[in-house]
Amino acid sequence: MIPLDRYPKEITLRDGARLTFRPMVRDDADRLREFFRQIPPEDKMYFREDVDRKEVVERWAETLDYGAVLPILALEGDRVVGDTTLHRDRTGWKQRVGALRIQIATDYRHRGLGTAMLREMRHVGEKTALRHLVAEMIEEQHGAIRAFEKLGFERAVVYRNFVNDQKGRLHNLVVLLYSMRQSEDELNF
Amino acid sequence: MYIDRRGFGYNFCVPLSRLTCSACGAELTYDSGKALEHSGGKVACPYEGLAYAELRSGHDRIYFGRWRKVEATPLDVRRAYHQIGRHLSAIAQALGERDLPAARGDLERAVEAFRTEDPGTGSPELLRLMDHALSYAHRSIDALLHETGLPAHSPMDFAEWYDAVEVPFRDEW
Repeated sequence: MIPLDRYPKEITLRDGARLTFRPMVRDDADRLREFFRQIPPEDKMYFREDVDRKEVVERWAETLDYGAVLPILALEGDRVVGDTTLHRDRTGWKQRVGALRIQIATDYRHRGLGTAMLREMRHVGEKTALRHLVAEMIEEQHGAIRAFEKLGFERAVVYRNFVNDQKGRLHNLVVLLYSMRQSEDELNF
Repeated sequence: MYIDRRGFGYNFCVPLSRLTCSACGAELTYDSGKALEHSGGKVACPYEGLAYAELRSGHDRIYFGRWRKVEATPLDVRRAYHQIGRHLSAIAQALGERDLPAARGDLERAVEAFRTEDPGTGSPELLRLMDHALSYAHRSIDALLHETGLPAHSPMDFAEWYDAVEVPFRDEW
């Protein structure tokens, strides 16, 4: 059960900035497009879809299904400054595995927002009976990797020269894994 | 002591002052000159008015404790071990019946690390496990703070109130 009753949730960052966390709704398409428009191109290359295309974000907004993908937005007033998504399969062998993605506006980086969003998703993951959370990032994203590790994620695997950037340069891909605590009953099957 | 246009100062090492906060139990060691300079004449506990002040100060007392220093004695380590035990109990009390599985999971990990070694055995693993227990405890406090919409607790914000030498860089994401 996704704990949606906790939203909207007010968050204060270390510098005093006050933001609201809440799930994305259909009306957020334009706000989200504006958010992605301001993300630097070098960051967009790691996205799975071309977020510069209007129809991509509109499709997300029109086909919202929190059970499959839960997008939580961080808003400063009406402006989206962060977006985190929890992806999961409803069936199959990975139905207890959630994949995390986090994107932050450039002016909100290094202010603790990423960590707050990560902490939020860890809570959601625990509440939705997931067993593991996974996140992928390139090895150069040192700050993000450290933040994940501080919250208990471990480097499960590093794929050497696995992904390429816009200029064709290869980068190592780090897969970070967080395992939930399991009850004794779950462990003794 | 010397006197110049700005007032008086010391040209020798002034002993640090100590204070135990009656509200949160913080055991503070500070430069009274500096503390008075910032507070306008009254030294107030830096945790005063903060959410989970007792847990924050409990954490920092251990975090900046002597047991982590090179000159730590077995007694310092043993004292810190028992402080960690009491700190974990305080977190468990604060968590109570609250439905915060992530915070509870961190606390369980802390207790697990805490219980792995007996402080009397002198095991070389003990310090590492105590450090782990404290880190998990910190995460649990941060999860509690997050639930109330507050930023994570940063011990380095309080470093000047402890006899702490090393100040690692802050790394926010």
